Amino acid sequence: MKGKLKTSTFLILLFCILFVIAVPMVFHGYSLMVVNLSLIYAITTLGISVMLGMGGQLSFAGLAFMGAGAYFIANVCTGRLGFKMATLPALLLAPVFCGILAYVLGLILLKLKGTFFTFATIALVQVSFSFFMNYRPLFGGPDGISGIPSLSIGNYSFSSNNKMFYLLVVILAVVALIVERIRVTKFGRSLASVRDNDIAALSLGVNVYMTKVKAFTLSGVLGGLAGALYAMQGNFVASDLFAYNNATQFIIMAMVGGVNNTFGSIIGSVLITVLPEVLRSLERYLQLFYGLAVIVLMVFMPMGLAGVFKQLAKRLKMKKKTSSKASEGVIK
Amino acid sequence: MKEILKLEHVDKHFGGLHVTNDVSFSVKCGQVTGLIGPNGAGKTTLMNIISGIYLQDSGKVYFDGKDVSQVPPYTRAIMGIGRTFQAPRFLQRSNIRDNLLIGSDLSENKSFVKSFFSRQNMNFETELNRYMKVAGFGIDLDDDITSLTYGQQKLLEIVRSLLAHPKLLLVDEPAAGLNSAEIENAMALLNIAADEKGIGVLLIEHSMDMVMNICKEIVVINFGKVIATGTPEEVSSNEEVIAAYLGKDELD
Repeated sequence: MKGKLKTSTFLILLFCILFVIAVPMVFHGYSLMVVNLSLIYAITTLGISVMLGMGGQLSFAGLAFMGAGAYFIANVCTGRLGFKMATLPALLLAPVFCGILAYVLGLILLKLKGTFFTFATIALVQVSFSFFMNYRPLFGGPDGISGIPSLSIGNYSFSSNNKMFYLLVVILAVVALIVERIRVTKFGRSLASVRDNDIAALSLGVNVYMTKVKAFTLSGVLGGLAGALYAMQGNFVASDLFAYNNATQFIIMAMVGGVNNTFGSIIGSVLITVLPEVLRSLERYLQLFYGLAVIVLMVFMPMGLAGVFKQLAKRLKMKKKTSSKASEGVIK
Repeated sequence: MKEILKLEHVDKHFGGLHVTNDVSFSVKCGQVTGLIGPNGAGKTTLMNIISGIYLQDSGKVYFDGKDVSQVPPYTRAIMGIGRTFQAPRFLQRSNIRDNLLIGSDLSENKSFVKSFFSRQNMNFETELNRYMKVAGFGIDLDDDITSLTYGQQKLLEIVRSLLAHPKLLLVDEPAAGLNSAEIENAMALLNIAADEKGIGVLLIEHSMDMVMNICKEIVVINFGKVIATGTPEEVSSNEEVIAAYLGKDELD
């Protein structure tokens, strides 16, 4: 089993290296920007994956926090509020700000359970969207906020899509490793117990409510980070990205790849963001395609692409087991 | 011997149904105490009250000398009240390793930062190996929990609760659905808990063989009331107990 795990990590690593080398060679200009966007979205999706995959809580709120992060940068880095912050500290502060916001909102919203909580997060997205859309002093109204500076560290500015691409790959890799690591911590197991059996969780010393709040906070932090990067990548923020129909898109991203799989969530984000650009001519059918895709996913592969691969690997393992019978009754 | 658990006048209603009525008894460290009674007598309800899943309407629960009557269930688990369920409750979508580690997390009590950076739970494998030898079957930690049989899951739930190092262990019908070999192994596990680890074990069980075999003390309840307490010999010769189990008519 150890060997098998290594082959899958090896394959993922190989894929990542090829991705990093190939993408800037194949994609340029606008299409590279789309890839960058998909990497930014992947950070939000990982937050959703923590909530939904690890914790079993369907939350649409990731997008609202992404909006909060983006408008945070738009306000503190352009001097709209009368002061101007450097981009790097602002980038670090945005996730903290969104984390606090998510913590407070989580304390309130997670008093609701299951579907009721999900509906509350939908309401949150709608409310935040109408704020972004209509409140000019902070969010610029329908015109949005332009003139946001690109991220610069010292004298080095990440102003081109190319430079941004490498930065995003590094940030995403760090976030993915952290999320992957959380899976095997005590907190990760607590979340799994909340997802699968809350009575068992309680009797194993897991504070179900606070565990959910922590996961919601984490998804807020990741949403905020993604939003901040989004603002700095496009140098412009407008409200239409943060509308409800986009929130469903993020759930689909998480589900296509595999809702409880870190790498799967990233693949899902890239697929769902890049595919519409490739299939531009079919755009009017896109929503129809998404709808059908969700049904097919739920029925045939509830754990997404990652689930399909896992099933295959398991079948291979079973074959090996029955042929050798060596691993019978052994604790590994 | 020290009392680890004490119930005083515990009352619980579900609507008009009086499920437990003025129940008082105690459980001592280092021995198995049986809680028996006919179906619907209120045994599992009592277990839920002790572990904090339900709150009693009146009365007090003392654990380790402290009043825990209003303490939430997860805090009671951290304080040292472990339990198993009539139908085993596992994390269905996690593998066996995570299902067992979540038990040993309770005894390790690491901070998030520490568990983020360190390879986990030092004594986990040695302890687990020891218990699995007693449980009598082998496991692959990477397998899904659903790959185990019902009996194995029930035994594994006892193992999980032991990994948490509880001071009081509530065991709800461990023998139900097990074959005779598995029942032997379940008893061996409970004996380790009581004799070696000094845990106070409260056992709900319908199998009288098992109860008479390993319980030092027995509490009998019927219709939510304690009708007898004492050693297995005292209880089995108690007329009210015989009446409750066999019905009064047969006695006359």
